[in-house]
Formats: sequence, C-alpha cells, structure tokens
Amino acid sequence: MFSMQGICKSFGGIEVLSDISLTLQSGDRIGITGANGVGKSTLINIATGFLAPDHGWIQLNDLMLTNCPAWEFARAGIRRTFQSSRFLQTATLGEQLFLAGHAPEYRNRLADLLDHSNLQSSLHLFPDEISLPLLRKAEVVRGLATQPEILILDEPSAGLTADELHQFGTFLNQQLGRKTALVVVEHRLDFMAIVTDTVVEMKLNQGLQVRAD
Amino acid sequence: MDPYLASVLTNMTLIAFLAISAYLVLVVGEVSFGQQAFFGIGAYLTASVTVLADGHVIWALLTAVVGGAAGTLVLGLLTIRLSGLYFAISTLCFAELLRFSLLQTRFTQIIDGRKLGPDGPEGFSNIRWIFDNHFDATDFLLLSVTCLTVLLLLLFGLARSRLMLQARMVGNDPILAQSQGLNPTHYRLGFITLSGAVAGFGGGLFALFNTHIEPAMFGVMLGVHALTYSIIGGLGSSIGPLIGVVLDIGLLESIRQLAAYRMIVFGGLVALFLVFRPEGILSHRLVARLKRRWGRRHV
Amino acid sequence: MNTLQTSLDGLMIGSTYALIGIGFALVFGIMRRINLAFGACLLFGASLAIYLEPWLGWGVWGLFLVTMVGAALASAYVERLCFAPHTKRTQSMTAMIASFAIWMQLDEISSQMLPQRTHAYDGLEMPTFWLGEIYVRGDQLLHFCIALISILLLYVLLYKTRLGLLIRATADNPETAYLLGVRVPWLGFIIFLLAGILGGVGAFMILSADGYVTPMFGMWSTFKGLLAMILGGLGSLPGAVIGGLILGIVETHAGASLGAEYRDMVTFGLVFLVLIIRPGGLMGVKIYRTESLAQERI
Repeated sequence: MFSMQGICKSFGGIEVLSDISLTLQSGDRIGITGANGVGKSTLINIATGFLAPDHGWIQLNDLMLTNCPAWEFARAGIRRTFQSSRFLQTATLGEQLFLAGHAPEYRNRLADLLDHSNLQSSLHLFPDEISLPLLRKAEVVRGLATQPEILILDEPSAGLTADELHQFGTFLNQQLGRKTALVVVEHRLDFMAIVTDTVVEMKLNQGLQVRAD
Repeated sequence: MDPYLASVLTNMTLIAFLAISAYLVLVVGEVSFGQQAFFGIGAYLTASVTVLADGHVIWALLTAVVGGAAGTLVLGLLTIRLSGLYFAISTLCFAELLRFSLLQTRFTQIIDGRKLGPDGPEGFSNIRWIFDNHFDATDFLLLSVTCLTVLLLLLFGLARSRLMLQARMVGNDPILAQSQGLNPTHYRLGFITLSGAVAGFGGGLFALFNTHIEPAMFGVMLGVHALTYSIIGGLGSSIGPLIGVVLDIGLLESIRQLAAYRMIVFGGLVALFLVFRPEGILSHRLVARLKRRWGRRHV
Repeated sequence: MNTLQTSLDGLMIGSTYALIGIGFALVFGIMRRINLAFGACLLFGASLAIYLEPWLGWGVWGLFLVTMVGAALASAYVERLCFAPHTKRTQSMTAMIASFAIWMQLDEISSQMLPQRTHAYDGLEMPTFWLGEIYVRGDQLLHFCIALISILLLYVLLYKTRLGLLIRATADNPETAYLLGVRVPWLGFIIFLLAGILGGVGAFMILSADGYVTPMFGMWSTFKGLLAMILGGLGSLPGAVIGGLILGIVETHAGASLGAEYRDMVTFGLVFLVLIIRPGGLMGVKIYRTESLAQERI
C-alpha cells in the first residue's frame, strides 16, 4: 500500500538517513524508536513530504509521491501529528477541526470522533486554553476525520503523564479505523505496546528495513 | 451634507479600499508595499474608459477591477518562490516600475477641442464623469460607501466560508496548512489577485472622485500608509483596515492646526501601539471572543 | 574613456551606497530585521546638523559630526521603540511596520527643522584634478577614502575584537541569537548604533557631494540602502559593499546613457530581476532555512 525504498538524506555533508525502507499495508501498526538524533524526525518529514530525500522513492498505492510537496502527501491520505501539537492560536478548536470540509462523510466521522473524545465542550476554546492531553487527542481527531491511509504520530508522549498517555493510547486504539495504517515514532515503549504490533529500532547511520509481517 | 465633510468621508472610503487590499495580502502571511500601483492602474483604466472611450461607468470600474487583478496576478506569478522580506521588496520594485511606466505613458487625444488622456507626469486631467452625471459630493459619498459596504459583505461571506480561515492558516503556519492538504501557492495567488481587484476598484472610484490623477499620487508612501492602517486596525476582521483609516484621517482632520505635527504624533502612536498590542485593534482573538459573546446571547 | 569616467563616478557614488547598505545589512544580518526608518534617521542627522550649525559654527566638520551622531541617536531610538519590544521570530513584520511609523515621524521632525524644500549642505572645498583623461573630484575621492577606512574599521571591529566575535556568532545562528538576545539585550542597541554611525558617514558624503539636502532624502536613502543590500544578498556585509558599488556603477551608467528618468527605473528593474532570478543576491545568501522542519523560508 505504502512504500518508501532506499531513502537517503544528508544535511550539509552529514548523512542522517542511509538506506531506509518502510513498507506498510492497510491496518499495520508500527512503532519506530531510537535514541535522540538518530534521524526519526527526518524520517517523518520525508514520509510526509516536508523534506525531499536525496535518494530513494516513495509510493502510496499507485501514486509516486517522491519530491511532491507536503500538501500532496496530505491530500493523498498521509496525515501526521507534530511534536508540539500544531494549531492556529487565533482560531477556536471547533473552527479548525471543521476546516477540512463540508463533505457529509467527513462531518459524520468528525462528529463520531468528537463524541468519543470528550472534545465537544472544548470546541469554542482557543488552543492555548485547552489542556495538552486534549490537544493531542484533537490532533489525532483532526487527522482521523479524513479517514487517512496512514497516520503518523510524532512523539505523542511528550508532555503527558503516564495515565494520560495510557488513556490516549486507549482512545487511539478505539478510534483508529481498520484500514488506517499507524506509524508511531516514540521512545516510550509502554505506549508503543498499547498501540502498535511491531516496534523497530532506528540506529544512527544504519539502514532500516521495516515491513510489518 | 456639508460638501467638505462629504469629501473627507469619501476620501476615507476610497483609502479603505486600498487598506483592505493590503489586508488581503496580510491574510496569506505576506506584506505588500505595492498595492498603490494597482490602485493607480485602476484609476488610469477607469479614467481612460470614461474619458477616451466614452464608456459606461460600470465598464470603467469593471476594467479597473480586471486590470488590478491582472497586475497582481502577474506579480504573484513572478514572485511565486519569494516570501517575507524578499516578497515585500519585490512588490516595492514592481510598484515603482509600474509607476514609472505610467510616467512614460502619453496617449492624448483631442476630443471636443480639449486634449484628453494620460499625459506622462502631467497625469490625466478632466475626468469629468461626476460633472457630466451630476454627482455632487454627497451623491458620490453615497456611491462609495455603498460599494465599500458591498465589498465588506462579500468579505464577510468569505470569512464565514472556510476559505478565509484556510488562507489565514497558510499565512500563519504554512507547515500546518500543508499538513492539512492545503496548497499554499493557490491561496497566495488567489488572495493576492483578489487584493489587486479590490485596489483597482478603489482606484477607479478615486479617479472619478478626484477628476485628476497623476503618477505622483500613487507613490510608495500611499501604499505603506494603507498597510499601516490595516495593521493598526487589526487583522481579525475585514473591518479592521477601515478602523485604521478612520483613526488616521480622523486624527488629521480633527487637529488641523497641528496638521504638521500629525505625523509626529501618529507615527509615535503607531509604534507605541504595536508594542502593547501588536495584533492591532481588532485582533483575531478579540473578534472570536466577541463572536462567542454574541453567540451565547442568541442562544 | 567615457565609460571609464562613468564607471569611476559610479564607484565613488557606490561607495556611499555601500555604507548605507551596510547599515541595513548589519541589522538584517544579525537580527533578521529590516529597519525602514534607517533613511529617516540619516535625514534626521543631517537636518539636525544644519539646524544646529548656526549655534555650533563648526563648519563642515560640524556637519559631519552632528550628522553622524544624530543618525546614531535616531537609530538607537528606533531600536528601543520598534525592535527591542519585538524580538520573537514571528514579530519581524511587526517591528518593520513600527519602524515605518517612526520613518514617518522622523521625516516630519526633520521637515520641521528644515522648513524649506532645499537646504544647502556644505561640502569640503577640494581641488579637482585630472588623471589622464579622467576627471576626478577631490571631495569625492576623499569620500571614497573615508568610506574605505570606515569599512576597514568595521572589519577590524568585527574580526579582531571580542564584541565583533559576539556579533558574528550571533549572526551565524539566528536561533541562538534569540536565546542570546535574552541575555544580551544591548547587542541590538550596539548594532543599531553602529549602523547609524556608518549610515551617518555615508549620508554626510552624499549630501556634501550634492551640496544640498531635501526632505526626500529619507526615502531616497532607504531605497538605496535596501537595494544595495538586496543586490549583494540580504544580510551579507561584503554583499552590501559589493551591492552598493554595483548599484552606483549601474545607476551612473544608466543615467549617463538613458537620462535621469530611466535611471531609477533601471535600478528597480535590476533589483526586481535579481529577486526573481537569484534572490540570494550576488553572494548567494540562502533564503531557506533547510535544517529546520520543512523548508521554512526566512
């Protein structure tokens, strides 16, 4: 379904990613872990189109996405979250969640997710008036409402207590559709245990082959 | 109404078009120092259609809109890879280049024994539409205000649709926007072109009102003033720019004796204002809070 | 020979542009900000010089000193009011707009000090002489030397002193600059002061060579400095110097062959082309921050 092959990336002469490959099928649940600086962020950025790889290619179903801009990745169905839960500070949560569309299936799915996430009461608030655990959920809701092919989470545990993390993991498990593939880049293995089936470790300058079997 | 007051208010209305034009570019996260050039193009086009082609004013204003939009579209396409300071400076250069072109434009014709048409630095005189159609100061004020109201209604409509928020996201956090599947280039070009259309229209009205236009009127200072009004008024709503206009021109008129010192006062006030309230008067948060309060009252 | 003459004249003028360009480049290179009030600061300095002249009676050197000091003071004022309060990265436009407001303010203050449209600005009485077939104005040559010395002094400051090291380190990594900015709040102040001094010197040279100052000088010098900086590459100090020189040469040639009207058009056209084709300017300054998440433009 989704495939990244032979991805290499250097920054100013320093090779950060060398020969990374990642294959995903519908419904896969993969975790990627590794020490700081090993290239996890770079990997996410390349997988979501925010950075172009020096070598290698990226394909989703029958779309070649290599070197496409990030918005095309998103349109194709690859959604992500950010380490610091990115939201516009000058619009309410509700405005932002309903930003993506009027299509009835989107609205229905969004309403469904909102019901299950306890976010209804926060819709009229600004993001800086909302607690971090709720914001993280909101980010996931934002991504899942579009029924993406892949959802990539970027260090979702940052700033959450163990309880909050557990709750977040449960929420994720419940709401993730059967067809959506999940990639979690994280270092908290307890969280990974809740939401993923396979965990792979990235090491500096070593190739990585990820295929969920 | 006292004709002097009417003309002051009309002036405010026309400058408001330019300020809104600057605002529309600010929405997508860019700063333009060049909107005054499209204002000028609109003015010249409207003058040409009414005077040289003896066209109906609707055609004249329509031409101004299209001309302004075309001009900004060209600029937007040329500067597609630029943003921030680079974009701002390029708009300045583009505007000055357009103004120079106007300075070189001489296309006069003898109509009814009078020499009419754009005449380089001398400008375009005898734009007699308001005289021929018996529009006095109050009539024209009514016309301008009506047009401005229509524009504001259109923009409110835009704000209610998701387009405005999407554009704001593109302007505020392009990375977030892209992660939502929004193509920043489309929004940029769209809003920049819209800004040109608005500026062109305002310029058209300006030509009719002033009856005489010349390139010197459309210099950088005009554009940067419009930009300032937009920023002071606040980016939270399309009315923001209007507030900025009213504030400055109101200040100018109310302390006429101190007209010379107006800039010293206003300039200092603006800088101080930005220290304490950088988002302008009508900031997004304020507008949203107001909406919340009114929403609850209706519920 | 005519070309050589024009080029030489252009070089002289260009050296003054270079100083103003450096003023912009210092602020942008280190603080990622554009000070739109810079030209107005120079105008203020010059206006102050002429205003105080009858009382001081120091002649041309008085003009030089007061212009320089006045410009530096105005520049420091601008820094305190428009830039110090807006140090976050997202506030660069706010700072720029605030500086525009103060541009208007300083322009007006200068007009109050110089009520007439044109004021005489004395230059140095210097001999003119011939170098072969080339005609050289003594005062312009002196200005060129002053510009050279100023640039050399700046170089010494930046590369041979601790302060200079601090400035360069800050410029090298703007992210760190914002961190450093918290601990070193006076760095911005010093930069603006420096820019004001150099700009003031440049302003003196331009005005004394011309022999007069007009209220348009504020906008005019802002344009020149900005364009010189863009040509050379935003934020690059050597770029500003080269940009200024090239600006001077191109402008003088355009003026000589096409006339004064087209001269400015050529300047704007050149800069616009540079922005579209090679926004990084002659020095190829990178306009994208590639190390951060996605290509965040500066």
